Parts: sequence; C-alpha cells; structure tokens
Amino acid sequence: MTGFADATGTGCDFDALVREHQAMVFSVALHFLRDRALAEEVAQEVFLSLHRNLGAIQSASHARHWLRKVAVQRAIDEGRRRKRQAVVSLSELAEPAAGDPQGDPMLGETLRRLVGTLPEAPRMVMILRYQEDLDPSDIAELMNMPVSTVKSHLQRSLALLRQKLARRGLGEI
Amino acid sequence: MDWLEQELREALRRQEPSPDFLERPRRAHVLPMRRWMAAAAVVLAAIGAGGAMREYQGHVAKERVLLAVRIAGGKMNRIQAQVRGVAQ
Repeated sequence: MTGFADATGTGCDFDALVREHQAMVFSVALHFLRDRALAEEVAQEVFLSLHRNLGAIQSASHARHWLRKVAVQRAIDEGRRRKRQAVVSLSELAEPAAGDPQGDPMLGETLRRLVGTLPEAPRMVMILRYQEDLDPSDIAELMNMPVSTVKSHLQRSLALLRQKLARRGLGEI
Repeated sequence: MDWLEQELREALRRQEPSPDFLERPRRAHVLPMRRWMAAAAVVLAAIGAGGAMREYQGHVAKERVLLAVRIAGGKMNRIQAQVRGVAQ
C-alpha cells in the first residue's frame, strides 16, 4: 500500500500504523490548514518521519501520541510557511446566512471556516478538543502550554463563535 | 456539552485522505527543485549575456582604434606630401 519497507525489526507494523492513524494525522492538518492537497502533503511528511523513526516507537499508544504531536507541529509549521493564507479576524469574516442551525447543512462548513480563521494556537486547541476529543491537560502537553492557557483559548474561541453565530440568528446563546 | 460544542464535534470530525496519498510525488520537494533550475537558467543566461556584451564592447573598441590609426595615417600622408612639396 505505502511502498515503504516494513522490515525494521522493531515489531511496529508501519502499514498498520498508517491505516490506523492516517485519518487523524490528515484531519489535524486539514482542519488547521483548510487545504486538502496541503494537508495530504503534511500527512506524507509525518508518516515519512515516522518511518525514519520507527525504531524509537515503543508501543501502539506511543505511536499514536508521537504521530499526533508531530502532526500538530508540522501543520503549525506549514501554516507559518504558507504566507498566502490570509488570517482574518472573526469580525472581518463575512456573516453567515441566517437559518435554523438544526437543519442547516451549511452550519458545519460555517463552523470549519470560523475555526479556520482563528489565530494558530486557539485554532489548534479547538481542533484537538473537538476533532480528537482531548482533555485540556492532554492538549497542554501536546502543545507545550499551560493548561490554563488551553482553557482560556477554548472559552474565548467558543464565546467568539457563539457571538458570531448568534448575531445572525444561528443557534442558541 | 451544549449544541455548539456538539456541532463543532460534528464539523471537525476526522476525514480520510485520498487512498494513494502516500504514493503521490511530493510537491514540496518537486517545486523547490524546479525553482532552483529556473534560477540557475536565469543565472547562466545572465552570464552568457554578460560575455556577449563584453565581446561586443571589445569589438567596438578595436574598430575605434583602427579608425583612429587610419585617420592618423591619412594626416601623416598629407603632412609628408606637404613636406615633399616644400623641399622641392
């Protein structure tokens, strides 16, 4: 499947790791960068890096943690490198169309777009919280920041999203 | 967890990459190489153009020297003819 050699003698099955974690790695990059091709490139780099470091992987849970951490860092690095991505504030973003949030098929895209416009740290915190379902303490460890900062990013980002959506009658307050 | 957090969980759910995403050539490696090749071509062209310009300037200078020598030779001939006329 991958074209990579697997006989590293570490007991870690590279192909199996790719199959198990490719959606996680790709989605972290996709939701952060909002660019499918770029997210696939980041995922390629992450798995290439895993292949080079396969000997250091000690267990399945270690592999998951390692991949998540490297994916987060590579996505942030790529976001910084890609200067063409204009980061605008939530207040500058075009207002989403009004409608019923329960039946609005565009709400998901609106939310992804709004999350994509957050500054890099709160954006990644939101992705790790709601895509990966991680606790603030896990996010803090992954992103090398205090738990209080993670909680602050979550609260402020949610408040901003809520305010922005409520202004146009999208959802409850 | 309120409705917004539930919607965020749904909006940010994991997605699968393309099935062959690991097998495709990586643009990040290909593009810089193309950029370097284009830059090298420009440098080589500039070097070539610089050489041609120096050759042209040398040719012009040589023509000017030859013209100066011809002018000086003509004047010398006229002076010699005048000197011969005076002597006779």
